[in-house]
Amino acid sequence: MRRTRLALGALLAATGAGALWAAAPASAPEAPAAPDRIVSINLCTDQLVLALADRRQIAGLTRNAIDPEMSGAAITARGLPLLGNSAEQILAIDPDLVVGMPASRSAALAALPRQTYPLLDVDNATTPDQIYVSIRQTAKAVGHIGRGEALVARMQAELADLPKPGRGRVAAYYQRRGYMTGTGTLVDELIGRAGLVNLARKLGKPPLSQLSLEEMVAAQPDFLIVESATDTVTDQGSEMLHHPALKRIPRIRVPEAWTVCGSPEYARAARAIVAQIAAIDRGGQ
Amino acid sequence: MRRSLLLPLLAALTLAAAIASLLFGPVDLSVGRLLAAASGHGDPIATTILFELRLPRTALALAVGAILGLAGAALQGYLRNPLAEPSVLGTSNAAALGGVAALYFGFAQIHPAVLPLLAIGGALFSLALLFALAGRSESPLTLILAGLAVGTLAVAGTSLALNLSPNPFAAMEIMTWLLGSLENRSFEHVRIALPCVVIGAAMLLWNSRALDALTLGEDAAQALGVDIRRLRLRLLVGTAIGVGGAVAVAGAIGFVGLIVPHLIRPLTDRSPSATLLPSAIGGAALLVLADIGVRIVPTTNELKLGVVTAFLGVPIFLVHLMREKRIW
Repeated sequence: MRRTRLALGALLAATGAGALWAAAPASAPEAPAAPDRIVSINLCTDQLVLALADRRQIAGLTRNAIDPEMSGAAITARGLPLLGNSAEQILAIDPDLVVGMPASRSAALAALPRQTYPLLDVDNATTPDQIYVSIRQTAKAVGHIGRGEALVARMQAELADLPKPGRGRVAAYYQRRGYMTGTGTLVDELIGRAGLVNLARKLGKPPLSQLSLEEMVAAQPDFLIVESATDTVTDQGSEMLHHPALKRIPRIRVPEAWTVCGSPEYARAARAIVAQIAAIDRGGQ
Repeated sequence: MRRSLLLPLLAALTLAAAIASLLFGPVDLSVGRLLAAASGHGDPIATTILFELRLPRTALALAVGAILGLAGAALQGYLRNPLAEPSVLGTSNAAALGGVAALYFGFAQIHPAVLPLLAIGGALFSLALLFALAGRSESPLTLILAGLAVGTLAVAGTSLALNLSPNPFAAMEIMTWLLGSLENRSFEHVRIALPCVVIGAAMLLWNSRALDALTLGEDAAQALGVDIRRLRLRLLVGTAIGVGGAVAVAGAIGFVGLIVPHLIRPLTDRSPSATLLPSAIGGAALLVLADIGVRIVPTTNELKLGVVTAFLGVPIFLVHLMREKRIW
């Protein structure tokens, strides 16, 4: 995914990356009967499938799909079958569509070289336009093109009237253990959309870099954007974000589930950031 | 003459190390800016960095180093074993297990005191187990082997607890607990550790006369009026409270209690009482210097403190092990 390589990446790897898998049809056939045994093998495609397919079409999601901290569609995912990373489970389902990011690189599928399930490779989206592409792609593959168009239109409407209260002020997306999200990411796009400048961009940092508390204090961004889950100290990684040295920097909180994937939740994240900047401006200075 | 100079010299070294620790960090701040911040006229950035980041870190390094050095000297005196010290005996790792249990299963959120209390509990349990198993055995090796067993069990328990914890990131923090670090500490951590360190140090220093008497043998010490059972209890509880409080905020930093008394002892009359206080001050200086070291070495992730102390401590450990070999 675009960030949290170290931590979440490891978890997602369980559902995503793996050995190479020989060529197979990369998209669903043109106008077939809608698939009714869809398996998603990636947290991000879980959310797309949940938003676009009928529940009865879904035969398997990843284990993280029901984790409210990681999946924006955790509540809808409840009750649906969840798969581990095992090829056996996929074999038993005999899916008529496997959706992944990309599906063709799945380690579980590589273990089944003789099964040629229809695959849908969804690209990792880092801009709203790319999210629209993956929504339309998925909608077509699951046989609900109209639903996809409606979802895109809804997101576009939610984003259309969004003000830019940032006014060029600097924000840092600061994660557990001092990781900072940089350019070329969905988070960078969100920061820009709110009229803010990403501190990582200002400092010329890569998509994911580590910034010590001292460096953060010295950089003095106008806002810190943090994941809502770090509000409570549960370990040393989140404890760091509660250091008194950071107390003076106003904080914007966004659930990680809204930003970890290029998903329909992007619009919610954008609105939350804009609303919190406005609230800080009203309350503070 | 030389002995009377030891304490002032150690104190001067510690002070110099502490000042150096305030000068170094990932952000280059000029001495002028830091002085201005120290006198209360500095810019907010320098003031925050100095008072909220570097000062608590230095204070913790001093306190943790002091208790580890002191505990090492006291345990070596009581057990009359040159290899005894909190990390070799597994005490630090057992305290880390307590800390891990407090943090990752949410007990620490109940009250701030739960974290150090569980760490102290872990340390106390491991020491009691160790003393029961091999406290006053004939061979010094038995104790070290028992310590190895206790320590290995504690490390395994820590690893298991982190894997069982509901937090998906917990397993990544295992290094900090097993090797120790003072990165990103604040005065909240000083408030947790300092009372434990002060109480533990007081209980250990109280023993100095009794430890001297003990060098004559247990019977002679008892004849001199030493209550061996009380001595043992004070030593056990004092070490557990001090080391537990230190480990709760800094993780299990190894070998400080081994290195320091061995460096100090040749400069004294070699009686346990004469090594206690200098070992505490020397431990403070050593850990502050090691903590400057981890900040200076250019690595992407800050080096763990235990890495530095292990590089310094293992050679000393081996030298003493070789010397013991003749007795085996």
